[in-house]
Amino acid sequence: MGLLDSEAGRRRLLTVELPVIEQYNKDRDPEYRIVVQKVGTSLVLKYRLKPAHNVYQVETRLLSSYPTVPPETRVITALLHCPHLLEGQMLCLWRQGSSRITSRWDPSRFTCIFAVQAAWRWLACYEVWHSTGEWPLPEAK
Amino acid sequence: MDFRPLNDTERRQLIAALRGNADSNQAILMDRRNTSFIGSTDEVTEDEVINAIKSVPCHY
Repeated sequence: MGLLDSEAGRRRLLTVELPVIEQYNKDRDPEYRIVVQKVGTSLVLKYRLKPAHNVYQVETRLLSSYPTVPPETRVITALLHCPHLLEGQMLCLWRQGSSRITSRWDPSRFTCIFAVQAAWRWLACYEVWHSTGEWPLPEAK
Repeated sequence: MDFRPLNDTERRQLIAALRGNADSNQAILMDRRNTSFIGSTDEVTEDEVINAIKSVPCHY
């Protein structure tokens, strides 16, 4: 199912993903709203998160194979090298690159907003790690 | 980025919320305007759902 080039993909987009983005953006300050851009066969969600005092520019990419394949999220704002940060400042969220069986992404339950919230939680952990040197959550939770 | 760290109280509150989220399925609440951390809760109202971060089955 292609997100943009199949009927099932477009239905998912129109009935699930875009409405939940609209709901997320409602009452949100303009600079913290999600902006959606089409890039090739992908959709890119651009947004800012501020779990504590610092503002992070973040991108979540919905590949053509989304939602079967989990979204990819990377932080644009420069980060220190830390645990659970992959090449290109990609966040380690769903065991990216692993098989569908071992992936913790569940396309039947999660939307792109779930990925945004996962990024928020990752950044909250980063804020703690930055001060203490310890990641506050256990591995593979 | 000029990183502004958490103070001790803020850090303790955030760690407690993250661990409550991971261990007890407590939801973390973010401010609807600017996504900043505002606390955690056991019960999420319908109005709060979009700003409530439930336990995420992530790799980290």
